[in-house]
Amino acid sequence: MRVITAVIAIAFGVLVLLGYFLPQELFPNAAGLQAVLLDWAVILAAAAALIGVFNLFSVHTEKIRRRKKDGIYSALLVMGLIAAFTLGLFLKPQHILMQSILLEGIIIPVEASLMGLLAVSLLYAAVRLLRRRADLMGVAFIATAALIFLGSITLPFGDLPLFGTLIRPWVSQVWALGGARGILIGVGLGALLTGLRVLFGMDRPYGGK
Amino acid sequence: MIFSLDLVTGALSLLFTVMILSYLIGDNPLFKVAVYLFVGVASGYAATIVIWQVLMPKLFLPTWNIIQTGDYSRMILLAAPWLGFAFILMKISPRLAGTARITMAYLVGVGAAVTIVGALTGTIIPQIEATVNFFDGAISKPADQMLEIALSGGVILLGTVTSLAYFHFGARQKPDGSAKRAGVINLLAWVGRVFIGSALGAVFAGVYAAALTALIERIASIVGFLMSIFGRS
Repeated sequence: MRVITAVIAIAFGVLVLLGYFLPQELFPNAAGLQAVLLDWAVILAAAAALIGVFNLFSVHTEKIRRRKKDGIYSALLVMGLIAAFTLGLFLKPQHILMQSILLEGIIIPVEASLMGLLAVSLLYAAVRLLRRRADLMGVAFIATAALIFLGSITLPFGDLPLFGTLIRPWVSQVWALGGARGILIGVGLGALLTGLRVLFGMDRPYGGK
Repeated sequence: MIFSLDLVTGALSLLFTVMILSYLIGDNPLFKVAVYLFVGVASGYAATIVIWQVLMPKLFLPTWNIIQTGDYSRMILLAAPWLGFAFILMKISPRLAGTARITMAYLVGVGAAVTIVGALTGTIIPQIEATVNFFDGAISKPADQMLEIALSGGVILLGTVTSLAYFHFGARQKPDGSAKRAGVINLLAWVGRVFIGSALGAVFAGVYAAALTALIERIASIVGFLMSIFGRS
């Protein structure tokens, strides 16, 4: 099984990769084949997502069955899941009830409120950072954030001179951009290497050594 | 009494917002109820989107059409996804879960290829080009503009190179067993720390501003709903 899975991963990965790099004029079928393979991947990823939801369901029903601590919350989760799934299956996700009750009544308000909570947790984290790790990187972090805030806020007596027009744009678009670009290229190189390791069979996250 | 859909949506929105914001006074049962319900509802909703927007148009309906028309030659293109679908469903049974590896291997292989192309064409090449292109045409500009471009471009280039150097963890082992990076890399990495700290600070400022906007929007929606209930707008 280990060999079969490795062969499948490498073969289909290389076929998809060739679809991107082979010239269309010389290999007219390569792009078509790639599109079919990507379409299959979309279908299978959707099936994997369904299995993920089923796994969530089974983990929480097991918690309820074993009468574990916090089982009441699991019961609520399962009820919410069954209700949303049943309604969505019969009404479709675009139905006005699904949009108004589930999306605008529950999902969006909870997501926005969690985002709002982030404002408080981030402030707390920044204060902790200053107290616990006042090194070069920490000072650069806080100084940049403070400069950008000072350049963005509107004060009762008007904007701070130079902050909004010169300092904030330069800090965010030049100084911080250099670091961000380095981080992005680093992330890109990491992703590239991870993909290549999978295609060379060195990493097998689908199982097998 | 007739309840309008807007009223129900507003009431639910108010209830869940208050339950989530109650976390500000500490972890409590109201927050947990809201979060667990949210996870359940969002998962169920996501599952229906997967079914109606992916599986139905790409797998179930085409198969149904083939069965109806009797044109089974077109089934070749759907045989593989059906097989993969069947394999991945085996994950439900612990005894047969190993079979799902075949589908997972396919997904990982295709995902790796897409990742390679995405990293190359979406991140590495554009970022390098943007760093280099900053200096384009600088030589033909007036002296003051040329200086500005050289200064800004130089700072961005310095930031990019030193930030990358910070992530270079190659080191030579000393006779006493300890490992240390080369002197130049160490110096570049030290400068890179300042740039990385600044970049993360800028990201922090952006995320904080977005979070604060979300908090204000939520509070405004609560106030707006209560005012609409009590007849003031």
